[in-house]
Amino acid sequence: MSKLVAPHRAKEAGYISTPQMTKPRGSGPSRARFQLLDRLEKPIEWLIRACGWSSIIGIAAIFIFILKEAAPMVPKLDWIYFFTNSRWIPAPGSGNEASFGALALITGTFAVTGISLLLAVPIGLGAAVYISEFAQGKVKETLKIVIELLAAIPSIVWGFIGLMVLGPIVKGVFSAPVGSPWAHTMQFLHLSSGDAGAAQGTNLLTGGIILALMSVPLIVSLSEDALRAVPDTFREASLALGANQWETVRRVLFPAARNGLLAACMLGMGRAVGETMAVLLATGHSNRIPHALTDPVRTMTATIAAEMGEAVHGDAHYGVLFILGIVLFVVTCSINVAADLIIKGVKGKTS
Amino acid sequence: MKPSLLLPAAVCSAIIALTGCNKKSADDGSQPSSKKMTEIRAKGSDTMIQLATAWSEAYRKVKPNVMVNANGGGSGTGIAALQNGTTDLCNASREIKPEERAKVKEVTGKDVQEFVVAYDALAVYSNPANPIKEISIEELREIWAEGGSITTWDQVNPAMMGKITLFGRQNNSGTYDYFREHVCGKTADKKQREFRGGISELNGSSEVVENVAKTPTGLGYSGMGYKTPNVNWLHISAKKGEPAVEPGTEAARSGSYPISRKLYIYTAGEPSAEAKAFIDWILSAEGQKIVAQEGFVPLK
Repeated sequence: MSKLVAPHRAKEAGYISTPQMTKPRGSGPSRARFQLLDRLEKPIEWLIRACGWSSIIGIAAIFIFILKEAAPMVPKLDWIYFFTNSRWIPAPGSGNEASFGALALITGTFAVTGISLLLAVPIGLGAAVYISEFAQGKVKETLKIVIELLAAIPSIVWGFIGLMVLGPIVKGVFSAPVGSPWAHTMQFLHLSSGDAGAAQGTNLLTGGIILALMSVPLIVSLSEDALRAVPDTFREASLALGANQWETVRRVLFPAARNGLLAACMLGMGRAVGETMAVLLATGHSNRIPHALTDPVRTMTATIAAEMGEAVHGDAHYGVLFILGIVLFVVTCSINVAADLIIKGVKGKTS
Repeated sequence: MKPSLLLPAAVCSAIIALTGCNKKSADDGSQPSSKKMTEIRAKGSDTMIQLATAWSEAYRKVKPNVMVNANGGGSGTGIAALQNGTTDLCNASREIKPEERAKVKEVTGKDVQEFVVAYDALAVYSNPANPIKEISIEELREIWAEGGSITTWDQVNPAMMGKITLFGRQNNSGTYDYFREHVCGKTADKKQREFRGGISELNGSSEVVENVAKTPTGLGYSGMGYKTPNVNWLHISAKKGEPAVEPGTEAARSGSYPISRKLYIYTAGEPSAEAKAFIDWILSAEGQKIVAQEGFVPLK
């Protein structure tokens, strides 16, 4: 039976070995190598510390860069017009003033994100619950791998899928002869704003579906982690009390893992807000406030991507595009910070 | 050397050796040893990108040591590149504006040189399911311009129903600019009328045609070289009641088709010797033959 020793006495008692104790006496090279490792320890620690700090420095540098490029335009922009008007004409005809009204762009971003969350959260949480609670063995492993593969698909490919595959399907579903009952129903329910249904396949709904498919892997993996972190004792106690598995999930696991699940959804939302290429191709890139589900829209990210090439460095247009970038940055940062606070439970939601 | 370092070292030296090999073979390639590869950068119009690429490929056969890199991005992007000094030639499907000329002079210190290299007609495309075959500039103005009064097809012609779905280009496009100037017209106080909001702003000329082909109520504008069998183009009359003209080579050159335009190449200051030779070749019979092949209108 080993002796119980106070930790600070462990070295004297011989339980912790030092290099001086373990090295064989009289062999020169080994001692030199250990001394080299000792000398390297400080520099390596600094290197690792630099890696850690580099992310903070990186974020600060990016924010400073965006602020610097947008700074000339900040005092000159009519901020109220920017947030309340949807007339976006950065390259006006000769003799006209440029008009920077970003309401439709901001609305477009939030509309597409909203639709994608409406689809992604139920599917993502459902998949996470299935993988975590109901799937066994081979099925569980395969599902996890396939969902990770979904995350690996490049966003431009998602854009193509939206444009070429999903667009015609959506258009086909939301089409009807003029005057038919389906056409009237669609207009009444704000599913489409034209007499004959959806005019084009690349619209708000298609963009939302594509973004949902992109956010699902993120939501699934994070939710699955959150569900796995709930101790098994919760499940066992619930089942022992007579609840079936679905009741256990709904009434015990969801409240217990609520913080993590909410954070997963918010991070999925952050991904959807920042997505560029997929929405550029799949939403129809039209500057308007959507009145129906199948109206084409335009997001801030797609606007920046499409117009940055034309903006001359230092121009008003250039500055306003960077201001759009600041708006995006602020939105994504606040979503991430909120997700972080929710994980820590600072919002007062106790399980 | 430690065994664990041997593999990375071998991979690194292999990569260095391979890059070294590539450099050598490029140097003593097809050209005589005294000349090296000259690169001419051409940026700008998406309407002209296929044309520019065809010119570049054909010119490689004429002068193998000159490489013309053609990029798109829109006429606006090309002119901005001229100002930033990141391109030698700027392809433009619209005329450069006086304020842009001034900006180039201010930033680079050189005057802009303009070369007209071809003509183009902007066709207005509609879907084959649409029975309407002709339209006037006035009606187009009310359809496309801000505050315009025409939003449904039956306001143009009762034969067709439905809300007009508009497909245009993004605002960095010369085609956008040209169409706006020549179709949207002026407001009451002589200012340029802007496009209405809510037009689907697409990336390239062929994208507009594709979208119109897929949309029964669609209407879009694009270069006439981009027509496919899946779309119709409207005959356009300058005023309602006048005879409507179909887009075509002669109509574009003579100006009887109302929406015809010139295609330009701009340089900042005098072009370099190689660039001048390239532009002269474009204006010669060979270059103009390629213009006709790509669906645009040659100068003669």
